[in-house]
Amino acid sequence: MPSRGQNEDRDSGIARSASLSSLLITPFPSPSSSASSSSSYQRRWLRSQTTSLENGLIPRRSTDETFSLADETCSSNPAIVRRKKIAISVIFSLCEKEEAQRNFQDFFFSHFPLFESHMNRLKSAIEKAMITCRKIAESSRRVQLYVSRLMEALGEFRGTICNLYSVPRIAEPIWLTMMSSTLEKNQLCQRFLKEFTLLIEQINKNQFFAALLTAVLTYHLAWVPTVMPVDHPPIKAFSEKRTSQSVNMLAKTHPYNPLWAQLGDLYGALGSPVRLTRTVVVGKQKDLVQRILYVLTYFLRCSELQENQLTWSGTHGEGDQVMHGSKITTALEKGEVEESEYVVVTVRNEPALVPPILLPPAGERRNLGPTGWAGAQGGMDIPDLGPNPDKEEQSSGTCSTAFQEAALSTSSRHQGAFCGDDGCEKEGPQGGSLRLPGSEALRAGLKTSQQTAGVEFKGETPQKLLDRSTAWPCPDRHFREKAPLEKVTFKIGSSVSPESDLESRTKKMEEQLNPCRQCPDLAGSPSTQSRVYPDMAQDQQGLGCSFEPCFRKNACCLRKQSSEQEEGEPDRRSAEDRGIRTSLRADVAVQLNRPTATFTSGDSGKQAVHNIGGSCVKGAEGPWLEPIPSRCEQQDSGLLVTADVPCGDASRTEEYRIEGDIPRNESADSALGDSDDEACAAAALSMGHHGDRPEESLEVELPLPRSQNISHQNVRNFGRSLLAGYCPTYMPDLVLHGTSNDEKLKQWLMADLVHTVHHPVLDEPIAEAICIVADTDKWSVQVATSQRKMMDSVKLGQDALVSSQVSSLLQSILQLYKLHLPADFCVMHLEDRLQELYLKSKMLSEYLRGHTRVHVKELGVVLGIESNDLPLLTAIATTHSPYVAQILL
Amino acid sequence: MNAIVALCHFCELHGPRTLFCTEVLHAPLPQGAESGDSPSQGEQAEEEEGGIQMSSRIRSHSPAEGASVEASSPGPKKSDMCEGCRSLAVGHPGYISHDKETSIKYVSHQHPNHPQLFSIVRQACVRSLSCEVCPGREGPIFFGDEQHGFVFSHTFFIKDSLARGFQRWYSIIAIMMDRIYLINSWPFLLGKIRGIIDELQGKALKVFEAEQFGCPQRAQRMNTAFTPFLHQRNGNAARSLTSLTSDDNLWACLHTSFAWLLKACGSRLTEKLLEGAPTEDTLVQMEKLADLEEESESWDNSEAEEKAPVFSEGSEGRERTKHLTDLSSRSDGGSWQPRKLAVFKSLRHMRQVLGAPSFRMLAWHVLMGNQVIWKSRDVDLVQSAFEILRTMLPVGCVCVIPYSNQYEEAYRCNFLGLSPQVQIPAHVLSSEFAVIVEVHMAPHPSVYPVGPEDDQSLSKYEFVVTSGSPVSADRVGPTILNKIEAALTNQNLSVDVVDQCLICLKEEWMNKVKVLFKFTKVDSRPKEDTQKLLSILGASEEDNVKLLKFWMTGLSKTYKSHLMSTVRSPTATECRN
Repeated sequence: MPSRGQNEDRDSGIARSASLSSLLITPFPSPSSSASSSSSYQRRWLRSQTTSLENGLIPRRSTDETFSLADETCSSNPAIVRRKKIAISVIFSLCEKEEAQRNFQDFFFSHFPLFESHMNRLKSAIEKAMITCRKIAESSRRVQLYVSRLMEALGEFRGTICNLYSVPRIAEPIWLTMMSSTLEKNQLCQRFLKEFTLLIEQINKNQFFAALLTAVLTYHLAWVPTVMPVDHPPIKAFSEKRTSQSVNMLAKTHPYNPLWAQLGDLYGALGSPVRLTRTVVVGKQKDLVQRILYVLTYFLRCSELQENQLTWSGTHGEGDQVMHGSKITTALEKGEVEESEYVVVTVRNEPALVPPILLPPAGERRNLGPTGWAGAQGGMDIPDLGPNPDKEEQSSGTCSTAFQEAALSTSSRHQGAFCGDDGCEKEGPQGGSLRLPGSEALRAGLKTSQQTAGVEFKGETPQKLLDRSTAWPCPDRHFREKAPLEKVTFKIGSSVSPESDLESRTKKMEEQLNPCRQCPDLAGSPSTQSRVYPDMAQDQQGLGCSFEPCFRKNACCLRKQSSEQEEGEPDRRSAEDRGIRTSLRADVAVQLNRPTATFTSGDSGKQAVHNIGGSCVKGAEGPWLEPIPSRCEQQDSGLLVTADVPCGDASRTEEYRIEGDIPRNESADSALGDSDDEACAAAALSMGHHGDRPEESLEVELPLPRSQNISHQNVRNFGRSLLAGYCPTYMPDLVLHGTSNDEKLKQWLMADLVHTVHHPVLDEPIAEAICIVADTDKWSVQVATSQRKMMDSVKLGQDALVSSQVSSLLQSILQLYKLHLPADFCVMHLEDRLQELYLKSKMLSEYLRGHTRVHVKELGVVLGIESNDLPLLTAIATTHSPYVAQILL
Repeated sequence: MNAIVALCHFCELHGPRTLFCTEVLHAPLPQGAESGDSPSQGEQAEEEEGGIQMSSRIRSHSPAEGASVEASSPGPKKSDMCEGCRSLAVGHPGYISHDKETSIKYVSHQHPNHPQLFSIVRQACVRSLSCEVCPGREGPIFFGDEQHGFVFSHTFFIKDSLARGFQRWYSIIAIMMDRIYLINSWPFLLGKIRGIIDELQGKALKVFEAEQFGCPQRAQRMNTAFTPFLHQRNGNAARSLTSLTSDDNLWACLHTSFAWLLKACGSRLTEKLLEGAPTEDTLVQMEKLADLEEESESWDNSEAEEKAPVFSEGSEGRERTKHLTDLSSRSDGGSWQPRKLAVFKSLRHMRQVLGAPSFRMLAWHVLMGNQVIWKSRDVDLVQSAFEILRTMLPVGCVCVIPYSNQYEEAYRCNFLGLSPQVQIPAHVLSSEFAVIVEVHMAPHPSVYPVGPEDDQSLSKYEFVVTSGSPVSADRVGPTILNKIEAALTNQNLSVDVVDQCLICLKEEWMNKVKVLFKFTKVDSRPKEDTQKLLSILGASEEDNVKLLKFWMTGLSKTYKSHLMSTVRSPTATECRN
């Protein structure tokens, strides 16, 4: 064998301490399943376990963070070694543009391991400089040399970071793009195959391409898990591999750092012993190098990252812009000057303090009437009734809230003293977040097209409210709405508290509900009043609560509708609403997908209410009616906000009165928003659950609010940043890049590899650092490693082998393509062939387990494995059978 | 997220103190790890695993918990605690939240119960409120090491009209062992923690202002505020955060907020990781299982009497479900339990028993899809023979009638077990598409080569393999047969290796079958092209072609329908020039 024979492996130094520790088989109970035994799964599971805090600490390797100024020639006695405390700090001055700043910050935090690695490098350079300079007697010369060395190292650091940030990236790495966009998959396959076959045909002089691909497949092992056959059928189209459910589940139950996992995948750190690999393509022909780089992005695989934003308050619509945790809403607003309008962009944050959902103590809960429980159960079952499956969750959320809330309030009334809760007093924006768009839209609609929608709305809804107001039988504790203000003030900026929304809603509400004003609020029972008034005091600022009843009427009317099963009327209104929105969309460039979406959800939710409304109203008299408003508000006005948590006793009320005087531009105003719909659903869940596990109720159980998830593709990740294009110079960190000449490469490669081993970016010991260097000028592929001294000055490393498996794979793909088999089929076939490689490695590992060495020839005859396939197949085997590496040692 | 979030306070009397701390408890083993992760199964696993194991973990702490917080907890003695450095009231059991979907629990106490964690949090708390402080004393900072964990700390002031300088100093810290993860999450943590702080400060400011302006007594005190030390000596100095924010539910609220923070941070980034497509064998097995479920009722009836010619796939189907993780036919050879009966244990065993030439003939017919008939009194023997032989074929190509009292046509099965007295029609006997193995009682122990793994139980039989047209010895035969024979011959290869080898060979040839299917059945390409294709596939010899054609019948419906549907889409071949 030309290289990498077993003898060489034996003295390859693989058995260094680091590599041995990386060989250790997992000390943790590992989920035993053939499906999950893939190395990618194992790596992630291990990571989550080694970084776990649950049962105390797992001892980890310690990094030496102090400067070591010990000269090699110096005595090793630590007492003699002088220790100075030295610190280096690097300040990044950012560009003035805010966006650029944020970009860099995102890059910095997501790519921190790389920054850290370069810091380490800077540190060792300084160490070295200090040690060398110590020998110089003359102080001025010493300082001069020291400073110059230091500046040199700093310059290097700056250059590297700068390059890392600015180097050209491959815009659409094939594998990642195929994974994320299914739409253009065919075109993508075609483009890939065209380039791929071109390379197979044209640059396989010297077996160059086959050698390169063999090396890439041998060291960048992340492709292996993507071809490991699974034991469950594909869900979607056949050719689309499915996402690994076991890994998904692991990420949920035992979160680990996906960025770290991705980085490891890219560097091919899946095998055992762990190796980090990079690939550089050198060549004067930029075009050719770029082609090769592009094709390789199919084989250099990693996971795609998604960014999820969990919200517990309200719903984000599809068209919502979500940036850094804030929701941005845009609305057309009326200016202070009459007749003028302007677009207001509101950035709102979800309150950071999540109000707890306090459950009644177990004993009291039992007192809940059977109706209450039935109600709660019913609420949870609602999704089945919902007509629109997509929206089921939302509707179920709201509906179950309604019932849960009712259940809770029932109990609170029964019990009298129920824990008071700030959360429900202070109106948070979260309730509004769902409805706001609606109200904004309506409002804008009122402004922009007054004679149509606005008038209609004005004319109709309040009237209905009036009509039905008499039907309202019971007081309501939920409504805390800001008083209408005379002028509209909006904050633009991130720290906006929800007043603006409340104000806007209020204003609109005022317009709508003016006709109802005269209805006095007399219905409330004393206890309810005491709870309601403080809220009002807090928010209202001197405005009477006279409009409160109107809400009730509003609510009531809806309630009545639902109990009467009047379908037509709300539907009509919905149509109107849509109309308004549509016209608004035409008028202003605001994103309104969301309102529409919101509305639909409201609609379906409402139907659910319809379905169950009757029974629930029948079930309980007073409190049972409360749930309904929450539906109502969502549908037609976007005004009302629900409070789910039974709140305050009399003593607490006092305090809120006091608080009412406090200036309103206080973020805490919004701080403890009431718990929202989901929260209560969750409450229902856990309440239902609670009885099952009495042994766990030692701690007071507080349900988590139910979450909503908005996902979007994350772009600040290694998959997008470490696959680079044709760079002006050799770069140390990139997983893949091309460059025109190898001068700097020759100069730096060895040091880089050694540094990689000593300061692994993966935060775990690694055994070997590898760099695959493909030179299109010399048609050579060499594998440089941190473990071998350079053989001579010309060569960077060993010549890569050509696996006959790989070369037959390439040939058959080329031939099939020439026979005009469609590109996507060829890609499928390629995957099948890669899977064959995996299966062969399984066979090899089985073989190695059972027996001592057999002559390679025998392997060839029997297993169809040739000697040039061995390194590749062994490498693959180490990803699924770690013992292979141990056997080979 | 593997982190602890804690609220710490610099008490004017006692120095840095941990006030409140939320931990995350994960289920010991990831759910869904045990193969099939259909939602129902997953949920079940969650219930069982999460429930039992978590509760046991909690139980381990519960004695301390149940009695009283400070009885056995490593926390400071009650006597060194003032109002300001206490969060939950004495005897309060703490809070817990269950995340049902993930079986993660979030638990809050004043201090972690685990002694090691206690000291970690304690140390982080001290550092966050003494040395590792952001310039200006309010703001985020990162510190830590591998031994004590890494800490994101954000210090802040809370207004207190009675405190020195009218404010008290707090910090919220997040401790993780995963340094990189913590720093990756920095912007997120900063935003969320800043938000919590803002709201706490806002609440406190309200109380502060109310105390200053709302109540004349307070205002009067404020006038003498130039000597703030007085207040401390009033004994009022230590006020709880609850009273500073005037929020009785503050701790419950912080628990929910911290738990939420941990949850949101842990799920902030997720990966999409693809896994390989299932093998054809797996797909076919799935399909058969699905079919089976549909007709499971009728199947139950037929199970009792084997005579009903239902595919015996059924009878194994159930067993197979358990072995599904054990991919494809591997389980066939391995899972067969020898019941001290005369059975075949492996292909190699069979080859030894039958003798190489007979075995080759038999295997040839098996691979080509010809009908294989075994006539014997011994049902178990026949069944074991079929179990062994079928491993040579893709699952989709196997149709077994394990034992029947009458001859079944070839289209119904390619493996047929018959009792000795059943008459086989003459055309079958003379057909080149059938092979018959007759098992007789040997008059005297036969002289076949005795292999190491041979047991004597089979020696009482004599096997006669016949076919209508015996294969001529000089025919090369299908490539796969020769490879199988090579593997069986080599005694250096264990049975496991041979099994793996069979899987490799089958998959390799199934991949050729796929291409051929696409080419001929889907795209309907002309014959010349097909010849070219076959030579590319290395299967242009007649026997190989025959084999491919037979194996094509074993392709899964899923695969076929996928190919059929994608070819209908116009984009497939157009853009090629």
